[in-house]
Amino acid sequence: MISLHSLTKRFGSQTAVDSLTLDIPAGQIVGLLGPNGAGKSTTLKMLTGMLAPTSGTATICGYDLLKDPINVKRNVGFVPDSGAVFESLSGLEYLEMVAALYGIPAQAARERIQQFIAFFDLSFETLTDKLLGAYSKGMRRKVVITAALLHNPPVVFFDEPLDGLDANAAVGFKALIQTLAREGKAIVYSSHILDVVERVCDRVIIIDQGKVRVDGAPAELVAKHEARSLEQLFTSLTGGNDLERKAEDFAKTFRA
Amino acid sequence: MNGSVPSPAKTLQRLYLTLFLRGRTSRGLNRDRVPSSIGRKLLGTLAMYVVVGLVAMIYRNHPSFVLSFYLHGMSLFFLGMFIAASAGEILFNKEEAEILLHRPVDSRALLWAKVAVMVRISLWLACTFNIAGTLIGTFGPEGSLLFAPVHFISTCMSALFCSGSVVLLYQLCLKWFGRERLDNIMTTTQVLLAVAMVVGSQLGQFVIPALGSVGNPAGKWWLFLLPPAWFAGFDEVLTGRGMVSSYFHAGIGIAATALVAFLAFRVMADTYEEGLQTLAESRPRKTKESSGRRFVERIMALPPLSWLLRDPVTRASFRLCAAYLFRDRDMKLRLYPGLAPVMVMPMVFLLQGVSGKGSEIGIAFAGGYLGLVPLMAMNLLQYSQHWQAADLYRQTPVAGPAPFIRGATYAVCSLLVGPALLLLIIVVGFLSKKPEHAFLLLPGLIALPVYAMLPGAVEKAIPLSKPTEEAKSATRGAMIFILMISALALPGIGMAVRAQGFYWQFLLLEAVFSVAACLALNVLISRKQWDALE
Repeated sequence: MISLHSLTKRFGSQTAVDSLTLDIPAGQIVGLLGPNGAGKSTTLKMLTGMLAPTSGTATICGYDLLKDPINVKRNVGFVPDSGAVFESLSGLEYLEMVAALYGIPAQAARERIQQFIAFFDLSFETLTDKLLGAYSKGMRRKVVITAALLHNPPVVFFDEPLDGLDANAAVGFKALIQTLAREGKAIVYSSHILDVVERVCDRVIIIDQGKVRVDGAPAELVAKHEARSLEQLFTSLTGGNDLERKAEDFAKTFRA
Repeated sequence: MNGSVPSPAKTLQRLYLTLFLRGRTSRGLNRDRVPSSIGRKLLGTLAMYVVVGLVAMIYRNHPSFVLSFYLHGMSLFFLGMFIAASAGEILFNKEEAEILLHRPVDSRALLWAKVAVMVRISLWLACTFNIAGTLIGTFGPEGSLLFAPVHFISTCMSALFCSGSVVLLYQLCLKWFGRERLDNIMTTTQVLLAVAMVVGSQLGQFVIPALGSVGNPAGKWWLFLLPPAWFAGFDEVLTGRGMVSSYFHAGIGIAATALVAFLAFRVMADTYEEGLQTLAESRPRKTKESSGRRFVERIMALPPLSWLLRDPVTRASFRLCAAYLFRDRDMKLRLYPGLAPVMVMPMVFLLQGVSGKGSEIGIAFAGGYLGLVPLMAMNLLQYSQHWQAADLYRQTPVAGPAPFIRGATYAVCSLLVGPALLLLIIVVGFLSKKPEHAFLLLPGLIALPVYAMLPGAVEKAIPLSKPTEEAKSATRGAMIFILMISALALPGIGMAVRAQGFYWQFLLLEAVFSVAACLALNVLISRKQWDALE
């Protein structure tokens, strides 16, 4: 369903994503892990048509990212990590605007929105009466997730989707993406929260400096690399060693 | 936004219109209630345009071509200033890229929706400004009943021409200079546009009276170079008063509008996508010790700044403001085009003065206008897209915002006013053969510190602490308009007193008042408290 061929992005002399090649079938939840600046968000931005790749290509649902970007976008839902919304619109105005951009009839859009607000325990009055600027971070995140799923896309990219969600909403969300995957959607889940990725994802890809370091099922990867946990595997692969010593050094500077 | 048949183009137009009228953040709006009338915020501005449009009464007895030329000239000036100031934020908005760029809408549709909104708002402004002129053109001594509909069409054309030209200019810059330098290009383009508009409006002051005194004003060859003449020619032809030259003017106007629109909205639309994608890049930038930063550090080490910046919070505020003045795209896009008119006006006064008897008055007015630079800069420095980061100030262990306001004031005075003053003195020295003419700048310059402290003391102008939308309010525009007029009062009084032989006494008195005002304003700034968080 998602297929990347030597996808590369360079910013001047710096390579953010280096010849990424991989396939993600329908119904799979893929966890995309990596330290800050590894190239996760850049990869997602390229796959959603927000950034032009320097070289290589990708197909999503059979549509070529470079030749047919509009059809790619029609088949993709994206929750960016920024959680940006137009703050001066109400939640309902925002979601109806998004629905209209996907050509969803107003009545159908309203019904889907009702379903999502019921799922996320939002009140319809809040959605109609309050501007998004008045929403809490978690409520705003729920609106952004709803906006990404409103057109029922076969492929969904999540970039730090749990940021700001309360515990109940987070649990509900994890159940939701597993249900979506069972219905045949391909899901790419980029996050720094390793234990969530370990529990939710069928497959984990760790990238660092734009390159794939490991790719496989979480349990298999841990066993294969003889690590105690995914966290230990992650830190050993991405240069996160000696963290305890560094923390001690940090504290020493304050003591001095 | 409850349309039952959603069309992406209409949806986008409605979105951009709503965002323009409400602003992109919810600050300043009642966030617990969706605004019922989104047009109310614009009414004050439109009312002001109606009043300014009454100036057209002056041309009541002039030939119809002159009236049309004036109306189109001023409309193009106002629209140009509006579009130059808003285009950068409307066309290239980083947050919007995160929300819309992954939706199934091509860049052409985004561009057209934005341009449609800009043209629509331009037309509202132009139509309100033209109400008085249209009544004169219809019912005045030279009137024609056809004038109203014809002038409306030509005003639509000029709005399209104006917005198309600005968009085309951005796209050409983007194509020629590359997207790597988009930020700098946008700032430079906007500043140049603002300067061109101010200079153009000043040229109009010479052109229009000259036209009124000739028998066939439309026949002047140089009018073929001026867009207002093209659209005035259009009015003449369609109201049945056109001469041969009017037909040529009208033809050029139609062809130029069509060409600009075709190039900007069709041929060059692909370049727009490149610009939008640049905004989506969160590319890692190398931090290098730039010459600008070294310059700031160097002048901070020199007196008087080294004395004024002994307090660490004031010093940090100075550094922060200096960084934003020179490096932040959003700040540069609002600040420098906003300052361009007040920076150019002193030069215009000086150049007008050189040519005749107004030399001394021109220099005095130039000094008066310079006082507006710190006032406007302090005012504009309050607004930033990163205003929420200003919560950091409150975490600082200081009683109120005073050190932040002082740091900003010192940054504005040393980094903007200082160079502008130096330039003005050089220009006065170069243009005026009498060195003593530099003293004529003094009434304006003595009041300069007062102007610099006013925003902090009266408006509590805490740097970078308010969302950019608040900078657009109609009351703020009117206040600045009033201040621009009042800035000329002081040099005017100075010149009148000078004619009576009491110039130095006047300067002494002004200096005493200025020192007293500065002390009072400083106390006011020190007493400022933090506002409650929203």
